[in-house]
Amino acid sequence: MLRRILVLTFFVMVLVSPSVGTYAQEFPTKEVQIIIPYAPGGATDLIFRALAASAEKYLGKPIIIVNRAGGGGTIGYTEGAKAKPDGYTLTAAITPLTILPHQVTTAFTYKDFEPIINVVLDPCMFLVRTDCQWKTLKEFVDYARKHPGMITVGNSGAGGGVHLAALAFEKAIGAKFNHIPFAGGGPSITALLGGHIHAVSVSPPEGIVHVQAGKLKIMALFGERRLEMFPNVPTVKEQGIDFTMSQWRGLAAPKGTPAEIIKKLHDAFKKGMDDPAFRKSAKDMAINIYYMGSADFGKVMAHDHEFYGKLVREIKK
Amino acid sequence: MIESLNQLLQGFGTALTPNNVFYCLMGAIVGTLIGVLPGLGPIAGIALLIPATYGLNPTSAIIMLAGIYYGAMYGGSTTSVLLNVPGETASVITCIDGYKMAQKGRAGPALAICAIGSFIAGTIAIFGLVFFAPLLAEAALSFGPPEFFSLMVFGFIALSNVTGGSLTKSLVMAILGMIIGTIGLDPVTGDARFTFGSAYLLSGIEFVAVAIGLFGIGEVLANVEQRPEVFEQKIVVPRLRELYPSLSDLKRSIGAILRAAVLGFGVGLIPGPAPVIATYASYMVERKISKHPEEFGQGAIEGVAGPESANNSACQAAFIPLFALGIPFAPPTAILLGALLIHGIVPGPTMIKEHPTFFWGVIASMYIGNFVLLLLNLPFVPFFANILRIPKKILLPLVMLFCITGMFTVNNSIYDIWIMLLFGVLGYVLRKLDYEGAPLLLGLVLGPKLEVAFRQSLMLSHGNFTIFISRPISLSFTVAALIFLFVPLFFRMVRRNRAIKKLGKEG
Repeated sequence: MLRRILVLTFFVMVLVSPSVGTYAQEFPTKEVQIIIPYAPGGATDLIFRALAASAEKYLGKPIIIVNRAGGGGTIGYTEGAKAKPDGYTLTAAITPLTILPHQVTTAFTYKDFEPIINVVLDPCMFLVRTDCQWKTLKEFVDYARKHPGMITVGNSGAGGGVHLAALAFEKAIGAKFNHIPFAGGGPSITALLGGHIHAVSVSPPEGIVHVQAGKLKIMALFGERRLEMFPNVPTVKEQGIDFTMSQWRGLAAPKGTPAEIIKKLHDAFKKGMDDPAFRKSAKDMAINIYYMGSADFGKVMAHDHEFYGKLVREIKK
Repeated sequence: MIESLNQLLQGFGTALTPNNVFYCLMGAIVGTLIGVLPGLGPIAGIALLIPATYGLNPTSAIIMLAGIYYGAMYGGSTTSVLLNVPGETASVITCIDGYKMAQKGRAGPALAICAIGSFIAGTIAIFGLVFFAPLLAEAALSFGPPEFFSLMVFGFIALSNVTGGSLTKSLVMAILGMIIGTIGLDPVTGDARFTFGSAYLLSGIEFVAVAIGLFGIGEVLANVEQRPEVFEQKIVVPRLRELYPSLSDLKRSIGAILRAAVLGFGVGLIPGPAPVIATYASYMVERKISKHPEEFGQGAIEGVAGPESANNSACQAAFIPLFALGIPFAPPTAILLGALLIHGIVPGPTMIKEHPTFFWGVIASMYIGNFVLLLLNLPFVPFFANILRIPKKILLPLVMLFCITGMFTVNNSIYDIWIMLLFGVLGYVLRKLDYEGAPLLLGLVLGPKLEVAFRQSLMLSHGNFTIFISRPISLSFTVAALIFLFVPLFFRMVRRNRAIKKLGKEG
């Protein structure tokens, strides 16, 4: 009898003990996975591989990259949202997370994730050939307004981030472009180089090589600030068009992950972001490091979810 | 030209690092093995090894995968000569005179001339690749959506004309492939098509799964029902000193090898299963110009040297449209395209400039690979031939195991394995019904590209169809496609008319 009571007490104690708390304090006890909803070798993959390598030492456990490509990211996000909210399975959250749910039926929205940290913010931009007929943004915009549907603008895929950027921009300036989708940023830039289209909507590092080589130039830069690499190129905002559009890349955990664990992860990745090794690889990749804490990152996601929802509904009309 | 040579030298710097030499060697050896094994061709071989390259940098990865492709061209001849069983389709022709030579006790010289011819023709073709690929890449910038559309239409028609089998059957397969290719997100509007609400189907049917299914699993299934004695019969393996061809052999072969190199290169640039066509063409040419055509079919060494050189040359040339245009015209290059994309390299007009280390490194590795293969194939032929002695009950389950584990590692997706098994069964059924898997695979790869190019063109022209014939390059491909479509029909009609007239006279 006594033994039975003892055993029972033991179980009760185990059950009521603040297991989550101690769990969070001990975090991490094993390796942490990051799901990349895109193929290996793409920009997102490369960025988070570099970040994982430099954040490992601050987290104290290995960080493993798992690619779950497909469906424009839906497969990876679905898996990431359904993962156990224990902080061991994270997802690389990039702008399409707030676009996809408006376009196709998905089992997730940004609300199924807890934001951890934003790492990169790359402005969208329009590139044109250096020898094109428009010398300035004003000439380009005026021409677009006067000749609706005549300027062909390539994008990296229907409904993708840069396509929506081009749609939003034409709305902002009151013009109409002829949008041509390509299978990725590379082919759209090739078509521009060959003179088959007038402009492309891209996001760095796409097309940067050709801008450096002088074959293409940045006609419209939609960032909040100028690019470090091309300090002479003004943003459209500086030129009097109130329009900005950027694509973020950050990390998120499944909804319900304890706040303490989120904080631990945030701190480790923040240190990883500031690590010189990561800074250097970011520079090599021509990506724009942009830190946002968990709360700010969450606000951006919520804002963009509304924004893209409106935009996608307008296209579908 | 000078610039190309300079960059090629730098490419050797990349290709000669110990790591890359190792991967080149691995590719060459695996390719030879796959070539030797009847059934497993370069398509299944490359598809199976893609997952193994994930940890590598793109250059090493493609060096190895390309090595498998041209390595298989070397290996394929071995079983043709020794067993009268072609290791892969590009070595079918080699059986004719190669096996006859072996029966006459001249297997050694036949195998040696295969290796030497492959080496010479391969090396010449790589030279062509060095100079033509950058030129074509420059020209390829003038290829916009309408040009790509017309080129691909031409490719499909040329392809279905030249495969040799039934035109109807290969068109049916190509169209089936295109239909399967429509599953997933609509490339123009972003809407989901034929996905039935499945998140997995959103990204379309995984191409590698179809390839491994049709060519790996399908082959295993087809092999299971064959009686085992085919491979377990006694193989007469020539000894090393019997390998050397005589001086007269070399003299008779050198012309054939050089002609085949040029011929194969030309064929390699045209859409279609280039290595296979090149072997037929070379055999026909050699027989026609030979001073002793009666020897063909009885063990003429030119009949071995020509085709075996031609398939190598064609296989190297097929890299040109892949690298410069980003359009694969044969299943093995289609698989390589998939591999390039996985490694973040988008082939096309700007690839050579954007990834010079990659491009020239891979090209330089081909020289090294061809040299390695020459060394490998001469003394080790007996060893490779021994692989055929592995009992099928061990070999086939192993291949099956590789297929399944390999498939899983591509996307870490269990769905892909189901798709692969499904296409494995389909591949088996198609084989039984005498349909070929290759046009299906090409339809699957080219179909979505064709659709996008078509819709892009019409978007550019605001719906005006004349865009396909008002641009010179596009017009010439359209005309070429019409010629390829109607000339055979015309000849068939002429022939039938003649036959009817003849019948009329006789009757």
